[in-house]
Amino acid sequence: MNKEKENINPDPGFAEARDPKLSALLRESRVSPALLPRFREGVWRRIEEAAAPARSPGGIAWLDALVTLVLRPRFALATATVLIVAGALLGVRNGNQMAHQDAQARYLAVVAPNLLR
Amino acid sequence: MNRSLVILLGALVLGVALFGGSYFAGQRACRMTRSADDLSWLRDEFHLGDAEMSRIQKLHEGYLPKCAEMCAKIAAKKSELETALGPDTHVGVNSTTNVNPVAQQKLAELAALRAQCQSQMLQHFIEVSQTMPPEQGRRYLAEMQRFTLGFHEQTESSMSGSMDHEHHH
Repeated sequence: MNKEKENINPDPGFAEARDPKLSALLRESRVSPALLPRFREGVWRRIEEAAAPARSPGGIAWLDALVTLVLRPRFALATATVLIVAGALLGVRNGNQMAHQDAQARYLAVVAPNLLR
Repeated sequence: MNRSLVILLGALVLGVALFGGSYFAGQRACRMTRSADDLSWLRDEFHLGDAEMSRIQKLHEGYLPKCAEMCAKIAAKKSELETALGPDTHVGVNSTTNVNPVAQQKLAELAALRAQCQSQMLQHFIEVSQTMPPEQGRRYLAEMQRFTLGFHEQTESSMSGSMDHEHHH
């Protein structure tokens, strides 16, 4: 039963290989259409365009380059770390100065109230 | 281009938020951790030790009731002056454009009380300065005189400046 099923759909390539005459006839019967003028040139142009870096229509390539840089995880992480550390350091410095001024104002308010000055 | 611009602006906003957030967090944490003691400024500014701070604390506690008493007297005298000035007279000037004698008397009493109070305050500053190392004591006294008496000097010099200005014209 199984062998019969296999014989229903024989491999055409196999038949071609077995029969050289048939194979030659088939090769002659294949029609190869004529290529369009400058077809080869067009293909190469498309390949070159695909390989070249994409240019934005507005011509602001630097903006795209910057965005590409900003979106790099390492760069983003480093920038965020620098910003957090710088902000915290400045905040602590400023907080120290403010706390010092607050303490001075508190002392002055106690020993020399505005009423006396 | 629009997409790039939006991404860049978003990154900028995020950066500002990160910087601002950490700045305010640092500032707040620093202010909260500082002690809220009245004398903490003295300790930090003049690099005082525990022994000096203990002596200053005693002087401070002795001075505060006297200061409060003088403040109460000054406040009472100011109230008397306001009454003497009366609601009908503008800045103590009556219909004959003279300051009334009662108001004059109250002004003089108020000035005397203020002078007495300032003298007491300066005496306290001198005593505190003597508990500090000499150099720090001198600096403390100069600072306190600048803060407490400098205000009047500033007002007087600004007034004399404006007088000169008027005379030149």
